[in-house]
Amino acid sequence: MKLPTLSRIWKVLRNAVVAVCGLVIVIALLPSKARSQLGLDPCCAIMSAGLNSISGLLRNVVAQPLGSIQQNQQQSANFEQQVVFPTAAINQARNMAFQFQSQFVQTRQLFQLPISSATLPTPQLLEQSLLSGNPSAMPQITSNYSALYGTVMPPANAPQPVRNMVDMTDAEAQAAMKKAVEIDALANLELQAAEQINQQLQTAAPGSSTILEAETAAWLVRANAYTQSAMAELVRVRSIELANSSGQLKFSASHAATLQTTGNQVLQQGVQ
Amino acid sequence: MKLKTLELLRNLPHRLSRSRRWLFVTVIALSLSPLNTRADGIGDILSLFHTITSTLQGPIGGALGEMRKLSAEANNFRQEIIWPLAVINQARGFISATRARYTGLMSQIEGIKNNSATLALPMQLESMFRGAQSGSIGQIPSLYTQVYQPVALSGIAQPVQRNLMDIDDAMSMNSLKTAMVSDQTTQGMLTLADSLEQHAMTAAPGSASMVTAQARVADLETQAQFAKMLAAQLRQEATKLAHQNALLKQRSVATQSLHNQIQQVLAHP
Repeated sequence: MKLPTLSRIWKVLRNAVVAVCGLVIVIALLPSKARSQLGLDPCCAIMSAGLNSISGLLRNVVAQPLGSIQQNQQQSANFEQQVVFPTAAINQARNMAFQFQSQFVQTRQLFQLPISSATLPTPQLLEQSLLSGNPSAMPQITSNYSALYGTVMPPANAPQPVRNMVDMTDAEAQAAMKKAVEIDALANLELQAAEQINQQLQTAAPGSSTILEAETAAWLVRANAYTQSAMAELVRVRSIELANSSGQLKFSASHAATLQTTGNQVLQQGVQ
Repeated sequence: MKLKTLELLRNLPHRLSRSRRWLFVTVIALSLSPLNTRADGIGDILSLFHTITSTLQGPIGGALGEMRKLSAEANNFRQEIIWPLAVINQARGFISATRARYTGLMSQIEGIKNNSATLALPMQLESMFRGAQSGSIGQIPSLYTQVYQPVALSGIAQPVQRNLMDIDDAMSMNSLKTAMVSDQTTQGMLTLADSLEQHAMTAAPGSASMVTAQARVADLETQAQFAKMLAAQLRQEATKLAHQNALLKQRSVATQSLHNQIQQVLAHP
């Protein structure tokens, strides 16, 4: 009777001891402090310190340089607006282009004034062609020139060297006249282009004016090239003139020699 | 192995008593519960703060500092090297000084009269074609004719010679008229040049390119006018050459005619 009772008591005690030990272990292992939602927690202090640190950094490390950059940019913008690109100076330059336009128009009109002066019909025709400034009228120059200055003499009227020289001279004179018509026409186009570019300048900006300047520079190069070609024609005219002088001297020398020979022959025949 | 494990699990309730079962469950639960949860959470937050602050101080703060430095340097470069106000004003002052130094001198030289004729009619003609007044162009033919005489009448000269006289006179008068127009436009271009210089004196670095473009256009105008003058000279020279050639043709014809006449005379003594 006693043994089963003791055995049962022992079992109960043992279970109780085991349960208490288990509970003690669990309590010992559980977190000692629970984070409360409403109460203060050390973690909040850490977060607060961290956020304060971030705020300070944003203020000192981010905001100050940004403010300085903004100040620099504002200063730079003011400098550009007041010193480099002042609106008043830009408008003044545009107004200048506007004022120049009338001068350019007047120049073009002045060069269109009639200057023809011939009084006889044949010279009038040639003069009309020469002053026309119309390259399509060039074929008429040849016929009008021939009508006024005549054509190369027939072979019976002059020796071949003289005919060659006359033909060469006529050719150069006509070429120079044609070149004059071309140059007049080109100059008219240049005057038109100058007016058109000037019109663009009246509304140009500092950034676009350099493009227009480049365009004008291209026209200038072209104009210089045309001027150079006219100079070349002028040089050719003078060269032919010089060549004619030389040719005439040669012919005179030849004629003098012939005359001397013939004279000697006549005199010898007279003596005999 | 798998079957043995399943067998063990199946027989586990029979093998363990009730108290042992509790102990077993407790031990399993404890072994599964995270032991360092609290410590890991704070560490993460601290680590996060550390990352944010180091990012702000390092990449962001460093980059902004560099940008501030560059911005200040660029600003200084513009104001002290590219467009220093003092040098800009110095350039304007230079233009003003140049104008003061040369404008008067150039005006004096421009104002010099080159008229040299001494007789009445030539003086009138010279005064007219040096007047640079295109409105007077119409008076040139009469004055020219008074000085150089009109074309010979048809009974006095051959038609060929009369034509030569007329075209020579015409080209001469054309050139004189063109020179008058050119002189007038030259005055206009000199006024433009003066205006350009005045604008350059008050221009800003940004508007100077517009003034330069304007000067280029004026330059193109001048080139066109120069071409016109060159065309007039070409006409003159060509006419002179053609005139000489025409005389040569006439002489040739005359020589041939003389030759024929001499032969006729010699053939019939």
